[in-house]
Amino acid sequence: MAINMPGVGPDAEGLSPAAAPAEDPAKAARGGGRTSPLKLYARRFARNKAALLGLVLFALLVFFSVFGRFLTHWNFTEADFTALTVSPGVSGHLLGTNAAGNDVYAQLVHGLGRSLVIAVTVSLLTTAIAGLFGTTAAYFGGKVERAMLGFVHFLLILPSFLIIALVGTHYRGEWQVLVVVLTLFGWMLTARVIWSLATSLREREYVMAARFMGVSPMRTIVRHLVPNIGSLLIVTFTLGVASTVQAETALSFIGFGVKQPDVSLGSMLADGQNTLSTAPWLFYLPAALVVLLTVAMALIGDGLRDALDPTSQSGGRA
Amino acid sequence: MLRYIARKAVGWFLMIVVATNLTYFLANAFLKPASNYTALRPPRTPAEINHSLALYNLNPDKPIIDRWWHWISGIVTHFDWGQSPTGGSVNDQVAYRIFVSGQLVLASTILAIVIGVGLGVYTASRQYKAADRVWQGLSVLSFNTPSAVASLAVVLVAIALNQSLGSTLLPVAGAQSPDVAGFWAVLGSRATHAILPTISLTFISYAGYHLLQRSLLLDNINSDYVRTARSKGLTRKQAIYRHGLRTSIIPVATQVAFAMPALFTGAVITETVFAWHGMGEYFTKTISTNDVHGVVAVAAFGALMTAIGAILADLVIVALDPRIRVS
Amino acid sequence: MIEQRAVTTKPETQQPLLSVRDLKVAFPSEAGRVDAVRGVSFDLHRGKTLGIVGESGSGKSVTSMAVMGLLPDYASVTGSVTLGGDNLLDLDDRQMSKVRGRRIGMIFQDPLSSLTPIFSIGAQIVEALQIHQDISTAAAWKRAVELLDLVGIPNPDRRAKGFPHEFSGGMRQRAVIAMAIANDPDLIIADEPTTALDVTVQAQILDVLKTAQRETGAAVVMITHDLGVVAGSADDVMVMYAGRAVERAGVDELFARPRMPYTIGLMGAIPRLDDRARGALIPVPGTPPLLVDLPDACPFAARCPVVQDACLQGEPPLVALAGSDTGDEHAAACLRAAEIDGGAIGGTPIYPVPAVRESGVAAVPREDRPKVLELSGVTKTFPLTRGGLLKRKVGTVFAVNGIDLDIHEGETLGLVGESGCGKTTTLLEIMGLQPPEQGSIAVCGQDTANLRRRQDISAVRRNIQMVFQDPMGALDPRMTVFDILAEPLRAIGERDRRTLDTKVGDLMELVGLDPEHRDRFPSAFSGGQRQRIGIARALATKPQLLVLDEPVSALDVSVQAGVINLLNDLKAELGLSYLFVAHDLSVVRHISDRVAVMYLGRIVEIGATDSVFDDPRHPYTRALLSAIPLPDPVAERTRDRVLLKGDLPSPTDDRPGCRFVSRCPLHLTLSDPQKEQCRGVTPPLTARGGSDHRDACHFADTTTSTSVDN
Repeated sequence: MAINMPGVGPDAEGLSPAAAPAEDPAKAARGGGRTSPLKLYARRFARNKAALLGLVLFALLVFFSVFGRFLTHWNFTEADFTALTVSPGVSGHLLGTNAAGNDVYAQLVHGLGRSLVIAVTVSLLTTAIAGLFGTTAAYFGGKVERAMLGFVHFLLILPSFLIIALVGTHYRGEWQVLVVVLTLFGWMLTARVIWSLATSLREREYVMAARFMGVSPMRTIVRHLVPNIGSLLIVTFTLGVASTVQAETALSFIGFGVKQPDVSLGSMLADGQNTLSTAPWLFYLPAALVVLLTVAMALIGDGLRDALDPTSQSGGRA
Repeated sequence: MLRYIARKAVGWFLMIVVATNLTYFLANAFLKPASNYTALRPPRTPAEINHSLALYNLNPDKPIIDRWWHWISGIVTHFDWGQSPTGGSVNDQVAYRIFVSGQLVLASTILAIVIGVGLGVYTASRQYKAADRVWQGLSVLSFNTPSAVASLAVVLVAIALNQSLGSTLLPVAGAQSPDVAGFWAVLGSRATHAILPTISLTFISYAGYHLLQRSLLLDNINSDYVRTARSKGLTRKQAIYRHGLRTSIIPVATQVAFAMPALFTGAVITETVFAWHGMGEYFTKTISTNDVHGVVAVAAFGALMTAIGAILADLVIVALDPRIRVS
Repeated sequence: MIEQRAVTTKPETQQPLLSVRDLKVAFPSEAGRVDAVRGVSFDLHRGKTLGIVGESGSGKSVTSMAVMGLLPDYASVTGSVTLGGDNLLDLDDRQMSKVRGRRIGMIFQDPLSSLTPIFSIGAQIVEALQIHQDISTAAAWKRAVELLDLVGIPNPDRRAKGFPHEFSGGMRQRAVIAMAIANDPDLIIADEPTTALDVTVQAQILDVLKTAQRETGAAVVMITHDLGVVAGSADDVMVMYAGRAVERAGVDELFARPRMPYTIGLMGAIPRLDDRARGALIPVPGTPPLLVDLPDACPFAARCPVVQDACLQGEPPLVALAGSDTGDEHAAACLRAAEIDGGAIGGTPIYPVPAVRESGVAAVPREDRPKVLELSGVTKTFPLTRGGLLKRKVGTVFAVNGIDLDIHEGETLGLVGESGCGKTTTLLEIMGLQPPEQGSIAVCGQDTANLRRRQDISAVRRNIQMVFQDPMGALDPRMTVFDILAEPLRAIGERDRRTLDTKVGDLMELVGLDPEHRDRFPSAFSGGQRQRIGIARALATKPQLLVLDEPVSALDVSVQAGVINLLNDLKAELGLSYLFVAHDLSVVRHISDRVAVMYLGRIVEIGATDSVFDDPRHPYTRALLSAIPLPDPVAERTRDRVLLKGDLPSPTDDRPGCRFVSRCPLHLTLSDPQKEQCRGVTPPLTARGGSDHRDACHFADTTTSTSVDN
């Protein structure tokens, strides 16, 4: 927990472990200075038990979605007409079947994978667009900045969820289309956040110094602005995965996202909705996975924010 | 002050107009109202279908600009938002659906703000203690629970409760029982029906306020002016409540406006799960029935809600923050 | 000063008001347990002022926070703090809240953030009154207005209803003082009360503090890093280093006969305003230790030039020195304190005086050297907008209003003035290399109006580089020193890795850094080293002119001296010219050949440094010089101060007339037609007596008789 009173408490800058290389010149001279920030971040992240739990959960979920299919001989599209809506464990179906006779386990593996692929791709794309857009607007300032922000505000006004649903339903739930529309309407808020942070960087003396040294704008953005909001980008990416999973789930749940024969966690939830009391496992299982996934990402994101932010409140609590 | 509100309102009005018209063109591009007729028996020829659609200004053979002009002049002159592909009036639908959704969204927004801000203050003054960690954990969970999961989980719990009590204490579907009559009976029925959807909508939206209020207040607790207040002789608690809280609540007011669209999305799911015939359900219904005019009305409603939220937030900020003066 | 003495008759016979014994404060941190305060003891009597001096991290502020009970819960505080018989450390927050504000009033460093933004000033003072006194709101409001009047806020009736953001920094600090003395406390703790303020405002605030002390008869703990402030306001001084008191004495005794090498180093490191000989400053080598796992040894041993083996055998206690009488005890925590006399041991100075490098360029007369920078009539305006939500333009701020100045080769021009006077805007105008709104800028003979092509601009850029104020903010924390220093070289097209390697190595050696450290990140360096990196980066393209924006104001004094010496050496060795912007006139006097004084976007006086400092002509320059506290208690007590009224107004209009009129002490003494001239005619810069010393005052001649000493 940092002390935000000037002059009180330890001199944060002097004592931060980032200063540690200074105490060990030999190590630093061998390039130890390059690796130590990473090690420091890892150590701070690892101290956060919740974040570590999130990371483990996420790793398990990814592992399950990649290798889970080797545990069953059923394919997620196959329908076992001899076993409709059977409970977990019956007729060789590990986690039962749904009303159409699809193996729930196979569907879960595939649905989780589908949700993950959509969420990670969308989050990567939105973070990249938002990062470049935000920093560029901030660096140039003035008219360029106003025009770019105006564009963002315009997109924010649009009923994006409705437009995504319109387009999604038009293309009959192709997941690639979903990725495109979720990306197109998902980057603006992030871009605004990054812009507002980057405007403070624009006033930083090292950015001014680069300008006065004649470093080109693009190079300044790439060398100074982007690396210095790098931690924000990483956190944004992580939290973006969680929020995309939520959006995708909502869309698929009301029937405008992923559709038959493809399967995602959201479409499985919609399946389970109608048989809540008769076949509750059709709801429990995808619900559990989707919550695990979003919560894991949120915990990782919070942990990263604390670990990467030098002024965060988590460091140095004893 | 009035001039300021008027200027803001005009700005928002223009944005609503743009958003609505854009949605009109997009909806026309992506929705096929004709599909409402293709499954009918006996089958109809495309010409017959177009003839039927033409009655409702949906004939795909007519140029889009002409249709748009017809549509927009209907709104401007009679505030008539058009008809569905099968002839139902959009105005009639929206008129009663707004109230159904309104009560749900309003009740849960107020609850979410009260609970969220209250929890934020409570946990911030107990930073890192057990109560803080438990509530923090719960809020992270609820913040990240998709609304579909939250709503269905509430339904499951209610079903279990009803079964154990052997009566339908908490109805899980509809806005009121169809067979009740009389003012008080209807009111009671509506109230019991509203409990579960309100709970699930509150559950997914309170956490945002809690986490925001907590971190803002924590920033303020360590601020110089709270320290000055303590140095005057206020206890830590008094200083936090008198000086930190009012300052930190200002950004939360802004958050309410930005949360409006998300809440609307949440209402879509909640109304679907609880079979409420509100604007959220209308959203899914209009898209799946290719109801172009209905979709546009939903978009306009959403934009209007966002605008009202934003203007209210601005007013709250002006009232709370002496640094912002509009004159 | 005289009134204050009258209150403190025979303090020895009384119980001390505040008695601190063996106070220790520790914080947990990532690197381990930080012992911020390690056993501090002192007594303070009624009506007396104790100055606590130290550099950042010395534990002086933590000590005051511990007395106030304002440290966070996780800090471990031991020892005893006795105020009028009660041990404050035994009290819980509720009991302590009865003491805070009632018996102890506190004034903080940053007045901009220490008032709650959403309550009016009056309401905040009323709150302070009503916490401890049972009075009606109307009566409390009346008292609040009286207090605001007492601390010198004009129109207190109206201003009490104002909100903090409507007050300037100095006015807010007055309001904080009003709050601190609202309940007539026995003790006032002032934690760097003037550090965030300009010198003329600092002089006003120190004056208000003395008034407050006189009105309440309170004892004052004055915490500061500025030896000048201590010399002018304290009765006793305690010097802190690494969480401990290392020397303690009466103010005259301490400044006359410092006995601890650290104190001596501190005093030798500061440039002095009254110092005419421009020898090298004497830096204290090294940096203060981290307060984690300190060994049982003198904490200053690593930096001490007269260290002995015994110094490392155990931490020397603070002991009274032989020869000092009991009333005015002089104590030092140094084994060799007894040997030290006049900053020397056995006649040899403790700190060797570094040699000064002579510049070859200086031999050529100024007029014969080429101009590296020439500004004529440069003007920069900003639109003034009002309203938080609806911005509209209501006026124009003339941040820089028709500036003429030139810098010749090998010359340092100091540009001084208070914040808001347009110094920084001037720098940014120069560094932008764009034609100004009005007037012209020429760098090394090239008019910026003629720079159209990118190659032309980059050719000029090589010749002019900038060093920034904040040594941390000026270096990208995610780049290694190598990349930072290679950046300007790459920007001018140097790509060859080996050439870059050699050049970076050379640069690091030039500024006194070890080239082996090129792969480290800026966070691994101390503040002074970071500023050296910043200077090395500015030198990479071999410029002729360096623009330095407050290059030492963020550094501790003991480190500052080394950087100033480096700048002087580089100038002599490389024949550089400097445009040196600073608010610290002592530093400017030390480093500059010529000096220009700015007020509200205009230069009011310019000339050779000695001429301006010894014979200031413009009333503003005089006030500025007289406001600077000297690190010399005797001189402080005897000098006359020209106290300016009010704050810097905003330069919003461009009407003719002298801009200093609203605060000018000379203006008040003039006849009506003369006043008319001040208000109606803009005074041009005029040379008097043919020398290179010009001022912009219509009536500068009339007052030379009452010139300020120093």
